[in-house]
Amino acid sequence: MAQKKNAVIVGGGTSKFGVRQAHLLDMVQEAAKACADDIPGLKPTDIDGLIIATTMAGRHSSALNTAPLVVHRLGLRPTSICIRVDTLCAGSNSAIIIAKGLVESGIADVILVTGGEKVYMPQRWETNYTQLAVNDHDWDSAMGLGVPPPFFAMIAKMHMKRYGTTKEQMAHVSVTNYGYGEGHTNGHFAGRTLTMEQALEARLIADPFGLYDCCPLSDGASAVIVASEERAKAMSNRPLVYLRGTGQHATHSMSAGWPGETLAEWPHLNKAAQVAYKNAKLTPKDIDVAQTHDCFTISEIIELEELGFCKKGEGGAFVASGEIGINGTIPTNTDGGLLVYGHPFGASGARQAIEICKQLQGRAIHQVKDAAFGLTHNLSGTCAQHTVVVYGKEPVK
Amino acid sequence: MAELQKAEIVGTPALNGTYISEMDIWPLETQEFNRIYPFYDNLRAGKFTTTKCKKCGHIAYPPQVICPKCWSDELDWVELPQRAKVVTFTETQAGAPLGFDSPLIIAWLTFGDKSPLKHLLGRIVNCKEGELKDGDEVKFVTFSVPAHPIEVKKDTKVCERVFYAFERVK
Repeated sequence: MAQKKNAVIVGGGTSKFGVRQAHLLDMVQEAAKACADDIPGLKPTDIDGLIIATTMAGRHSSALNTAPLVVHRLGLRPTSICIRVDTLCAGSNSAIIIAKGLVESGIADVILVTGGEKVYMPQRWETNYTQLAVNDHDWDSAMGLGVPPPFFAMIAKMHMKRYGTTKEQMAHVSVTNYGYGEGHTNGHFAGRTLTMEQALEARLIADPFGLYDCCPLSDGASAVIVASEERAKAMSNRPLVYLRGTGQHATHSMSAGWPGETLAEWPHLNKAAQVAYKNAKLTPKDIDVAQTHDCFTISEIIELEELGFCKKGEGGAFVASGEIGINGTIPTNTDGGLLVYGHPFGASGARQAIEICKQLQGRAIHQVKDAAFGLTHNLSGTCAQHTVVVYGKEPVK
Repeated sequence: MAELQKAEIVGTPALNGTYISEMDIWPLETQEFNRIYPFYDNLRAGKFTTTKCKKCGHIAYPPQVICPKCWSDELDWVELPQRAKVVTFTETQAGAPLGFDSPLIIAWLTFGDKSPLKHLLGRIVNCKEGELKDGDEVKFVTFSVPAHPIEVKKDTKVCERVFYAFERVK
């Protein structure tokens, strides 16, 4: 077998996220254009592989086999891979794992990883209704479990009860992430600010969550280039950002199989993280910047615990003491995260990857000083699956 | 368009009034569409059941065609406990999916250490907002859900359906 190559992320871009007057394929084109603008040396003819991550495409855009549609609209001629993947909110992070393997093995050289969703429909009920189909439909969804806030609200209640986490601590997450969102003009809530008072006085969505504890659902798309080290050097002079290690773990599809002692413990995330750290030959202490799946403020708090950045149960105090700020021990969601940049499910993993790429290349809007190692994390659906990817300025040796 | 009555705006006339199972919130319970249909037959008899492996003894939920522990396909039907305790719960006033009334109450239920089914997210029915408390005991209840048609050659078979939820033990 030929020697294993190193896979790197070269750059990327997103469409505008939000409630868009656009078709899914329009937004994928915008994201591809933004990706090409970010990598001036990239020619569409360089791309030999395409992976599109999307969940809603089949139902909301009547586009079940989405990859050929994207090929046609982007004028691509893929020869190594041309697929759609779907792991819901972790779609394009999963696609990055696939792309890493394909590039390292020599099957592909330059892969466009893109993800996108058209969430909003002519009638608003349809979006909530579709979410009944992204859980274990015949079991949990038939109980009415579809839209995420009620489920994550129960997680928050459990975390508050067991570990003493407070609404004020949760508000530190949203206020911090709104600070990071500043300057990201493609974000869903671009240009908005948030104070502690506003966060705590916001209208109730699902007790204990106020409006700013919840990320929006967004239309949007993102795109990145994953390439071999050699091909990356040919198209960009920027520092190389290596895909060092990945982990993806699932234990169940419906609530009867929940792996934690209660909803406040996420051992399946802990496991995914351990696998990713091991593959990356790193520990949580090595990570300089993280993009975690802040679908709700409580999610970011639990993720910081399960990813090993603080002790179990201490996530609330950790975020309130400024450790996720730009000068903290682990600046987190430095582009605003899902809470502010928005959440078009399949697009979110690649959006996180773009931010880590920029951080490690030293060109982020809110730059973490001397960032050398970064991490991205997505959870999928009602916390059924966890996906972790670790990046570094040096390859694994 | 503005002068049309809402009922006249059908969008796709060919589908108007047609049952579309892809948009159904309830399972296709009939034996033509799944191999665990005894679960639904048992629901109709007021029983909460699942499959137990004859080889390794594992009791799975939801019911299965093969045992998820040892992949044996020799399974029996067994009954599950019908009472559980509320650990925590959520009440949705606005934004419940179409087909579910508000308040939509969903609880994290625990069935006890001895139960093969440890916990479940269960819908709490026949309960007003503010009535449920952590620690409340709830019991299993069944109810009818809308029937759907199946084409059987030139005829239409009507499939009656049932589902389950939980209610407070008063």
